[in-house]
Amino acid sequence: MCLGIPGRILEIHDDRGLAMGRVDFGGVRREVCLAYVADQVRPGDYVVVHVGFAISRVDEAEAQRTFEALKEMSQLEELEWMREVAERSLAAQEDRAS
Amino acid sequence: MKYLSEYRDGEVARGLIQRIRRAATRPWVLMEVCGGQTHTIVRQGLTELLGGAVEMIHGPGCPVCVTPLEQIDKALRLAADSNVIFTSFGDMLRVPGSECDLLQVRARGGQVRVVYSPLDALDLAVKHPDKQVVFFAVGFETTAPANAMAVWRARQLGIRNFSMLVSHVTVPPAMEAILSAPDNRVQGFLAAGHVCTVMGWTEYEPIAERYRVPIIVTGFEPLDILEGMLLAVRQLEEGRHEVENQYLRAVRRQGTPAARELVSRVFRLVDRKWRGIGEIPGSGLALREEFADFDAEYRFGLEAMQVSEPVECRAGDVLKGRLKPVQCPAFGKVCTPEHPLGAPMVSSEGACAAYYNYGRFRGESAEMAAP
Repeated sequence: MCLGIPGRILEIHDDRGLAMGRVDFGGVRREVCLAYVADQVRPGDYVVVHVGFAISRVDEAEAQRTFEALKEMSQLEELEWMREVAERSLAAQEDRAS
Repeated sequence: MKYLSEYRDGEVARGLIQRIRRAATRPWVLMEVCGGQTHTIVRQGLTELLGGAVEMIHGPGCPVCVTPLEQIDKALRLAADSNVIFTSFGDMLRVPGSECDLLQVRARGGQVRVVYSPLDALDLAVKHPDKQVVFFAVGFETTAPANAMAVWRARQLGIRNFSMLVSHVTVPPAMEAILSAPDNRVQGFLAAGHVCTVMGWTEYEPIAERYRVPIIVTGFEPLDILEGMLLAVRQLEEGRHEVENQYLRAVRRQGTPAARELVSRVFRLVDRKWRGIGEIPGSGLALREEFADFDAEYRFGLEAMQVSEPVECRAGDVLKGRLKPVQCPAFGKVCTPEHPLGAPMVSSEGACAAYYNYGRFRGESAEMAAP
């Protein structure tokens, strides 16, 4: 029940004073209440949807930034790890040599 | 799909796991209070991959699991009423009440319908003006805006045959109850990202300060959770205790103000019983006086109904993090998703169901003795 899912707004309309919209979830389309985010969204934007209600707008630029930062951190970690392994094996070789 | 697949990247996950393992100079104990996060952690085997750097205690993050028996029994009574169409999210249907569950009431002729959104329940009320439509309003702060809107809308459109059985709970008081328990082991929290999309994180600042624990607002995908763990471990290693936001793409400090506003206009804070845990002060939401007409307990005279919790299973210990699901003697033997003894084995968000479904008990239950 508690799972919020990101979806992309296809269109926005008004149902007797309530902002509603069609939202696409990777091919599955649903009617979603947009009342809580109506002032922040346009068709094409991503929202987090929970039990038929958009509860937050997904900041695309931020999503990209966070992912890139994590990717970079992960790659640096890999380099760091490889360096450590190399240093350890060098040290071990030196030990053996001495 | 966009914003899902990236955050499941295995390569990046490996790098993050490595980084957490190197950052932790000792094992740290963290808790998540969200069933969605519990499932990601268990499904991906994240704690195993971390090799003991972080122990995750799964907190009471499943709203279905903490709904008190009393409210389940009220639901069962309403659903058995031939004048009532009882509507609920699907995961409540198999939660055992004192004598049966909602599915069994339906099999005996009760009108029980699963809805995706509380607005669907409202539509049913419009379509069946000769029936009373009751919606089972359970959930955390994430669901509260939807349920608040359904009541608000019912009043606005003059839909008189709609009401709600409310059993809402809120997360921060439960975190405080856990932190102030004398046997608490939790050193830091991953706060539920979607609760924070609605509420923001200002409520967590006094908790982080008072109990000196880091609280990281965290998303649901594997990379989100790993980054949340890394931020918590860094704070713990550096002796800091701050509220940090990992889930930047969806959570802002003030949450979603329009949603908070309607929730506070429709609901008021009350003390609420949590199944298996007991009463936690100020941890529930109930309809305000001016919406009493839409309160099913009031409409059907159920306010006085009281049910005490049986000791049918050790769900309370699991919800409090004292017992891992696999350590329960009933786990996987007399208690399975097909024949659940308690709610954590029923709900798709329950910790017991997560362990069972992802096979995290094979070969483990023998080694892990009950404390």
